[in-house]
Formats: sequence, C-alpha cells, structure tokens
Amino acid sequence: MTKLSLLCSLTGIALIYVGAAQMRPGLTPISQIDNDYVGLKTVISGRVIDLSVHPEGHVFLKVKDESGGVISVPLFSGTRSELGERIELLDNIQVSGQVKNYQGEMELLPEDVGSIQVVHSAPIELSQIDETRLGNEVKIRGFVGEKFSVGDNSIILSVRRGDGELKVFLPGDVVESDNFPEFFEGDKIQAAGTIKSYEGELELEIGSSYSFEVLEAPK
Amino acid sequence: MIEYLGFALLGIGMGTFTGLIPGVHVNNIAPILVGLTAGSILSTLQAISLIVAMMLTHTFLDFIPSTFLGVPDRDTALSVLPAHKLVLEGRGYEVIKLTALGSLGALLFSAALVGPMTPFIGTAYESLNPRMHWLLIGIVSVMFYLEKKWKRMFSAAGLFLLSGLLGLLVLDTNIGSGDGALMPLLGGLFGMSVLVVGVDNDNDLPDQEISDSPVNVRSNVKSIFTGASAGFITGVIPGVGPAQGTVLTQAATESGGTKDFLVGVSGVNTAKALLSFVALYAIGRPRSGAAVAVDEIMKVGLQELIFLMGIALFVGGIAAMLHLRIGKIAACHIKRLPYKAMCFAVMASIVGFSFYYAGFWGLLILATATSVGLLPPSLGVKRTHCMGCLMLPVILYFSGLEGTVLGLMGF
Repeated sequence: MTKLSLLCSLTGIALIYVGAAQMRPGLTPISQIDNDYVGLKTVISGRVIDLSVHPEGHVFLKVKDESGGVISVPLFSGTRSELGERIELLDNIQVSGQVKNYQGEMELLPEDVGSIQVVHSAPIELSQIDETRLGNEVKIRGFVGEKFSVGDNSIILSVRRGDGELKVFLPGDVVESDNFPEFFEGDKIQAAGTIKSYEGELELEIGSSYSFEVLEAPK
Repeated sequence: MIEYLGFALLGIGMGTFTGLIPGVHVNNIAPILVGLTAGSILSTLQAISLIVAMMLTHTFLDFIPSTFLGVPDRDTALSVLPAHKLVLEGRGYEVIKLTALGSLGALLFSAALVGPMTPFIGTAYESLNPRMHWLLIGIVSVMFYLEKKWKRMFSAAGLFLLSGLLGLLVLDTNIGSGDGALMPLLGGLFGMSVLVVGVDNDNDLPDQEISDSPVNVRSNVKSIFTGASAGFITGVIPGVGPAQGTVLTQAATESGGTKDFLVGVSGVNTAKALLSFVALYAIGRPRSGAAVAVDEIMKVGLQELIFLMGIALFVGGIAAMLHLRIGKIAACHIKRLPYKAMCFAVMASIVGFSFYYAGFWGLLILATATSVGLLPPSLGVKRTHCMGCLMLPVILYFSGLEGTVLGLMGF
C-alpha cells in the first residue's frame, strides 16, 4: 500500500511538474490582464507613469506598456528596502508576480525583490522641453537656481543645466511629506513630473516627494 | 441593529450549508458577497454580518461530516483520526458535544483575550515577521520530534517534503490558477484520502450512544484554553493548521488524550476564525479567505472590530445549539443512512468541485494529493505532516528562497 501510494504520488507530481513547466508565464500585454488573470503568475514590462508613497514607506506604481494598458504594482516597504535602488517616474520596469483584484483595480503583486528589474530612464535636456511636451511626464536633472515659497508651503524653483532652464513646482503636500529631502541653491537635483503651463510659462509639476532627489550638494 | 442580526441569521444558515457539505467552503462564497457589496446590493455591514456569521458557523458544523464520514474499519483503528476512534466506540455524539464545547468555549475565551492581547499582536507579529521561517521550521521540527521514533521521524520528514513539493508546484505556479488549486490540494490530502479508506467500511458502525448529560466544563477548561491559545498562534502565524496548533500546545502544556484533542482542535478552529478578523485590525493582514473578503469590503478599525466581535458572539451560541441538534440527528440515524452511498456522494462532490475550481489539472492535483494523503496511515505517522503543502511554500516565502527554489526547478 505504501509503495503504491508513493508511486502514484511521485507520478502525479512529475505530471504536475511537466504541466506547470508548460504554463510558465511569458510577457503579458497589460491591456489583456483582466479578472481571468486573477491568481495567475504573470510577467509585465512597461514604464512607470505614476507613483505615490505611503507614509509607512510603501510605494504604489502605475505601469503602462505599449499595449496601452495600465496596472498598479505595489511595492511594500520591506520589498522596497531590499530592492536597494530607487524606482522613479518614467523608469522601465519588468515585474513578475501574482495578479490580484484590489477593490476593483487590477494589480500585480511582485513575488519578491528578485522578480523586479529596473532600467532607469535617462533625463532629457532642459533645452529640449517645449510646448510639444505639455501634459507629458519627463525626467530632468540640473542645478537649483532661485527658489521661493508660494501659498500653502509650495515651492517654485528654477533648475538650470547648460543653456536650458525650467521652473519646477513642488506642491505643498509634496514639500510637507516626511521623506521630502532638504535642498539648497546650487544643489544638483533630479526630478520627474508632468509638464504644465502656468500663466503662459512651462513648468514641471512634481506629484510625489519620491520623484524629487538631491544628487549632489556643493562642498 | 435588528437588520444586522437578521443577516447574521442568514449567515448562520449559509454556514450550516457550507459546514455540512464537504468541499464547499466559506472562502468560495465570500467573494460572491464582495461582488454583491460592490454592486450596492448589500451594504458593507450587511455583508460583514453575513461573512462573519457564515465563517463562525462553518467552524462548528464542519465537524459533523468529518466525524461521521470516512470512518475506517476497526482493524485500522490505531491510525485513524481521534473523532473516528470514538465513533467506532459508539461515542459519535460525545464527539459532537466535545467539539461544541471546544468551539464555543474557545470563542468566549478568545473574545475575552482580544481586548488585552490585541495591542501586543501587532508588536509580536512585527518582531516575528523577519524570523517567521525560523519559527515555522521550529514548529515543523517539534512535530517531527513528537513522532518519538527515528523511523517515524524520517517518514514524517519525507511526507512533509513530498506534500511541500506538491504544494509548491500547485500553489506557486500557474497550473492551478492560484487559490482555486487549494480545493483539490486540501481535498485530496485531508478529505478524499480519508474517505477512500472509509468507503470500504460496509456501515458496520456500532450504535451511537445518545446521552444528553452535559459535558463537564470544568475538566475541559485546560483544553479550551489550549484551543484558544493555539487559535491565537495559528491566527497570526501563516501556514499552521488547527491540528498542529493543538498538538503543539498540548505538548507544551503536557495535556493529551483523544477528548482533550477534540476539545482543543475544535477550539483552535473557531478561535482561529475569530482571530483572522482580529488580525485585520492588529496587523493589517488577512489570515483566512473570509478575512480577505472583509478586508476588500472595508478597513477594520476599532469600531468595526467591536461590531465583528458582537456578531461572532451572537452567532457562537446559536451555532453551538445547531451543531448539537444536527449532530444528534446524524448520530441517531448514521446506521440507517446509506453510508457507502453518502461517502461516494461526498467523494463525487470533491471531484466535481476540484474540476470546477481548477479544471482538468484540478483532477490530477486531487489524485496526486489523495495518493500522498494515503501515506500517513500506512507509514504510521500523523496526517498533520501533510500540512507541508502550505508550510513549505510559506517557509520558502519568508526566507526569501521561494524565487531561488522555483528558479532551480526551472520556473
């Protein structure tokens, strides 16, 4: 009886292994992911088009791929600290994990830190920013020029690099968040956000403190 | 107020149905209620009342089919489950009374402990979380050690690894469509494999003694407390089943025996169900399918927790009475019922649900899990080692080795 049960068990496990190997997940277009995918292991690849940071350190990404679909990818604080590198707006990311339906919204929960691969996008030159980029998300890098506070603790600063200059708007809720970095004139910063027009002038609006990073401070 | 009690009564009816029909679980019905809430057909508190009542009632009533169905021959009585052992002695109704006491007692105990313990659950979980895999490995090691003889310890370890490998393949790959694969996996390991053995029994069960004398509460207080304590542990630590919780706490408190086990394990079952809702408040994580449903419907704060507890206590008393009443009917009539046909019907329902939840692969998983589930009696070790199907994946997850192991396996 023991031998027969063991033989059946091992045969079954071998068949399940073969079946599971055939169902190994490939890259799935995000627009295809619907309720039928809930519970399945899935791999997606796309660009981070939005991110928000929870006070407890969790980061919630929205990833869009070439299919036009958008999916949420929550990175809980433990995973985020293990990852060791920042994921920024407009970075390209490949994630494998389980699809969940959280309060009606599809999300992909990464299996572990090893299931997240990030390719950082390069910042664009400030001189390349013009009206054609209105409403687009861009990443910039440069040196802080003038900065001044406006109502509700918001900050407007000018960022310069080479021949280019761009105003950056940091809303009050971003500035007041716990993890917003302290910065001064002359610091080298990197920021990602949406190009908007304010009183006829282009500016970069930052949506999250996580999208504003001080790279270097002058000695 | 009356409205919510009405929905709780409806939940009791639904929990009675899920508890009495093997293969149907609250976890399968709760997502439907979430959908009804999303579609504004049910209000949040109406759905919560239904889910909590259904879950709690299920933990009482599910002992009736597991007590009277799948009972093996007397010849194999040494390796049978504790409830079946008493049924073979004509004491099936005593099992019902003991499990009613265990469930209700542990519900009251754990409800009383929720207030003072909740502030510590979060802290304890946060400090345990990074070391959870070591804790689970410790629990597994103690379970092996309790087999006492070397040969059985090795058999238990082999059974744990075999179940774990099966669990890993089924739950961590796409073969079973995620949670849908749990039904054939657990149905095979803990349901079908018991029924396959029991179906050979040509209903030569002895007459069941029906005594209305109450169970002595005082002599069972220790077991009730054991059940409630183990419910706290298994309600917070993922992957540990009620039987393991009971065996471990019995070992720790040096209590034992079939009756103690039955009071304890029923207590763990109910206390764990209650604690899975408390865990939503204390650690922000669901610890059961029903708790997942509650978590999707609302954020559990202190007020919501008090509401949940109120519903649970209201339901507990009624569920205990129902359990005694229906259990008595089952004990009185089990001899006259077409026992073999009932076992086959239950087996057919497990096969049907496995196919429904996981398709063709569900049937293969069920057959394999049943084969693995047949090993404990023939190896002479406890069936709880089959919980490796959940514990091994959980250990690998918490140790961060899940991806590596799956990678080595080619996934």
